[in-house]
Amino acid sequence: MPGTPPYKNKVEVLQGTLDMLILQTLQWGPMHGYGMVQAIRLKSSEVLQIETGSLYPALHRLERQRWVKSEWKITDSKQRAKVYKITALGKEQLLSDHERWQTMVRAIAAIMGPEKAQS
Amino acid sequence: MKWLARRFERRKQDLTEELRTHIEMSVADRISRGESPDDARAGAQREFGNIAVIQDVTHNKWSWTRLERLHNDLRFALRVLGRSRGFTLTVVLTLAIGVGATCAMFTVVDRVLLRPLRFEDPARLVAITELGKRGSDQSGNAVYQDIAQWQQRSRSFEAFSFYDENNRRVWFLDGKNGTVHVSSASISANLFPMLGLKPALGRSFLPQDSGGSVKPADAHAVILSDAAWREDFGADPGVVGSVTHMNGESLTIVAVMPRAVVFPYGSGDWNGLPVVWRPIVLGDADLTRDHHAPHYWVLARLRKQTSFISAETELRTIQSDVAKAYTDPFDRDHVSSVALERYAHSLIGDKVRKATLSLFGASALLWLISCVNSASLMFARCTTRQREFAVRGALGAGRVRILQQLLVESAILSVLSSILGLVFALAILKFFEHGLVTQFNIHQTLRPDLSFMVTLMLLTVLGTFSVALWPAFGVLRTRFEAELRQGSPQAGMSRSQRRIGIALVIAQISLSITLLVGCGLLLRTIYALRHVDLGFRTEHVLVASMTIPSYRFGGRDMTDDFYQPLIDRVKRSPGVESASLMTEVPLGHTFSMIFTMRPSGHSDIDLQRREMKTQFRAVGPEMQQVFGFRMLRGRFFNQGDTATSPAVVVVNRAFVKAYFGDDRDPSAILGESLIGFDKKRRSTVVGVLDDERQVSVAEPSQPEMEISIPQITPDSMFYKAAEGVGMDVAVRTSNEPSQLIPELRNVLRASSPDLAASTFTTMDEVVEESFGSQKLAADLLEIFAGSALLLTLAGIYGVLAYFVAQRQRELGIRIALGAQQSHIRGLIIKQACWMLGTGLVFGIGLAYLSSRWLKVFLYDVKASDPWTGVAVAILLFAGGIAASLVPARRAASVNPVEMIRTE
Repeated sequence: MPGTPPYKNKVEVLQGTLDMLILQTLQWGPMHGYGMVQAIRLKSSEVLQIETGSLYPALHRLERQRWVKSEWKITDSKQRAKVYKITALGKEQLLSDHERWQTMVRAIAAIMGPEKAQS
Repeated sequence: MKWLARRFERRKQDLTEELRTHIEMSVADRISRGESPDDARAGAQREFGNIAVIQDVTHNKWSWTRLERLHNDLRFALRVLGRSRGFTLTVVLTLAIGVGATCAMFTVVDRVLLRPLRFEDPARLVAITELGKRGSDQSGNAVYQDIAQWQQRSRSFEAFSFYDENNRRVWFLDGKNGTVHVSSASISANLFPMLGLKPALGRSFLPQDSGGSVKPADAHAVILSDAAWREDFGADPGVVGSVTHMNGESLTIVAVMPRAVVFPYGSGDWNGLPVVWRPIVLGDADLTRDHHAPHYWVLARLRKQTSFISAETELRTIQSDVAKAYTDPFDRDHVSSVALERYAHSLIGDKVRKATLSLFGASALLWLISCVNSASLMFARCTTRQREFAVRGALGAGRVRILQQLLVESAILSVLSSILGLVFALAILKFFEHGLVTQFNIHQTLRPDLSFMVTLMLLTVLGTFSVALWPAFGVLRTRFEAELRQGSPQAGMSRSQRRIGIALVIAQISLSITLLVGCGLLLRTIYALRHVDLGFRTEHVLVASMTIPSYRFGGRDMTDDFYQPLIDRVKRSPGVESASLMTEVPLGHTFSMIFTMRPSGHSDIDLQRREMKTQFRAVGPEMQQVFGFRMLRGRFFNQGDTATSPAVVVVNRAFVKAYFGDDRDPSAILGESLIGFDKKRRSTVVGVLDDERQVSVAEPSQPEMEISIPQITPDSMFYKAAEGVGMDVAVRTSNEPSQLIPELRNVLRASSPDLAASTFTTMDEVVEESFGSQKLAADLLEIFAGSALLLTLAGIYGVLAYFVAQRQRELGIRIALGAQQSHIRGLIIKQACWMLGTGLVFGIGLAYLSSRWLKVFLYDVKASDPWTGVAVAILLFAGGIAASLVPARRAASVNPVEMIRTE
């Protein structure tokens, strides 16, 4: 199956970080669902592959929480698509998520140490 | 509903499109990277995953999901119910009838029995009456001397207050817009404070001392009720302190009471007039204990923590001592003891309590029948739907989901039947308003009790539906496959389920027999009442009830100046055949007088006659022409009996019986000199009337004495009472009596403007009104029992029809094997007879136990009347077999070929 990387090579998105990733992606500008998947894949150098099965429920949940809002627009390629935009409330949320994330990363780094774990 | 559905639909489409664009973009990307379109689409779809699942999961993120599911259930339920319209209509109607009737009757019970008095701490209020060895003297309340003794000696009471209803007569009060009619009660100064009532404006009567008398300075004070203040004084706040006139006496208004104050209870009902209160100022007459002393009704408040029993014991001990102060042994016997009754309790007669409760009981029975009926309907339906549930379960519907679906269905049914039930309740209350209000003395408006309605509906739903839905739960508990594998849709009920169905129908039959028997007994009562020989004619008689403004005739002879011209004028009116004055027409409820004989002798016969109470009427000599009373002996009054001729009285047969005992010839009383008439004359008996029902249709004739109005002079001892309060004019007409009303009203107005407000009724209406409570009960029970019968017949039909539908295959095989059609029909009818017979046995037993509750209404028929039972049994059997004919015919016409082919 050419063009389709084997599923196992992907890194699963860490539990609870999907919301933050979506919000961060939308910081760069309004985007539709497909765009987000591509953007995250490129930014992560093809490591992070967002599953559509997680993306869309998450998007609708975020919209319900009013962190993003959506609107149907015509894209550059003349296609009608639902485009999401981060809201002021979403930006606040992103900020606090970001801080928490950094604390977490430092904490985990402190535990794991600088050396690479030997198998 | 529609917009909601559209909204859900749009959101769904939105999501589908969003996901589709995602795939489209992916495909476009892949093609631009050089893949072939087919590969690109396949790849994109593979990468995307299961669209349906993603759509579902995403969809669940919406807050609307639960609402949407409910909406779906609702829509589905409406569709299901709409598809079986007959079922829905029957259940809704059934429940509505039961709930509506019960709610209406509860409203009555609530208004009559449950509404607490609006007085402070009403539980401590007691009514006190003196009574003697021969029981209570109905007019017998206490003289002030006795009340004073109680006040001084007892320790159990906080206060004793007293009041006088002033014979419940009508008074003429000068209001802002002329003279109006009012009721008036005289009260002791401590009455309102004791009840915890304060005036809205002004001050209470000034107490003379702790005894309850009002200061003489307040003797000409009056307190207005809210109704009198609003209606007659235009709610003028400046009215306090102003002077008005009542029956010509000038009075100072000292206070206005708040709106809710009604005292004495039912006073608004005496004449339908607003009340005013006068003070009781004790006078010389109150110092004695003889029968000329004013007698008062007594209300007292118990001390806190004093038990009713101990207070009663204490007062009885005191009273045995008080009674010794009575010198006349006869009078002493009348006051030897006292009776205490809780005030709230004393206001409602035992008869009314029983009557309301038995009517409520009847409606509750109807409710029970409606519950059983709808339960059996639902039950039958659920058993047929077992397969539907099984299929839904097999397709993945959770049990909770199916249950929710059923609950939604029952909720729709109960909401619909609640609304309809409320309409029924309103209709019953509206339709019977007049009867209920007059029979039960209801003073508040009759509006169905909503909270009771809701409670009752919940109870109904809980009861009915939990019985009915049980089989459905049964399906959910077992494995669906078994149900599905059973195959043919006619597999249907199990044996035990069928038994439940039959038991429900038998329960309905026996319950409705109870109601039918009750109804039958009341119909017999009404029939008996209508055929009572009243002893006088009632057709073509019109009655005008007048309140007499006697204060306008001070110093004049009303007989000559007022009554004679009045009756002459009435007689001259066109259409009048004859007309007569009388203080009260027979069976009337306007102004009755009771005369107590008081011969002064002390012989045995004299003492016995002192017990005699007799109905007393002053009548015109034309009365016999109007009513056609039969004379037993002697003569009636005639034109020769005048103010100057010897005084005469006429008595009736019951009087003779009470006076002489059973065995004397009535003529013996003729010529007897009974009573003093005025200063110069003693009256002698000139005639004996045959018995007539003058008090109530259901009561035998009471002793009665009549005097002739033209003989009454102002110095007669009867003048004030007989001529000064109320008078009826009875008119015999040649045409329909009601046509004469406008003409008569004009005649009365011409005699005195105050008489324009007189009320007119036909004698037939008076008679009808006098058996009002029986009529009301019969009408209500006709409705209840009729509905019960219909419900039961519907129940019998439903169950049999259902059996036939269930057994079609069996019946088809039987017919194929040679069974006669008549035999098949007989099979079904036998089943009906069996149910009817069993129901009858239980029902007659139940009816026997419950009809004693109706005793209070019955006349001339025993509660255990066998003929009523037989009639009801015949009616029910006829109806039941008629109801079973249709299913029986259907069973017999089953086509065996078709039945076997469906195998």
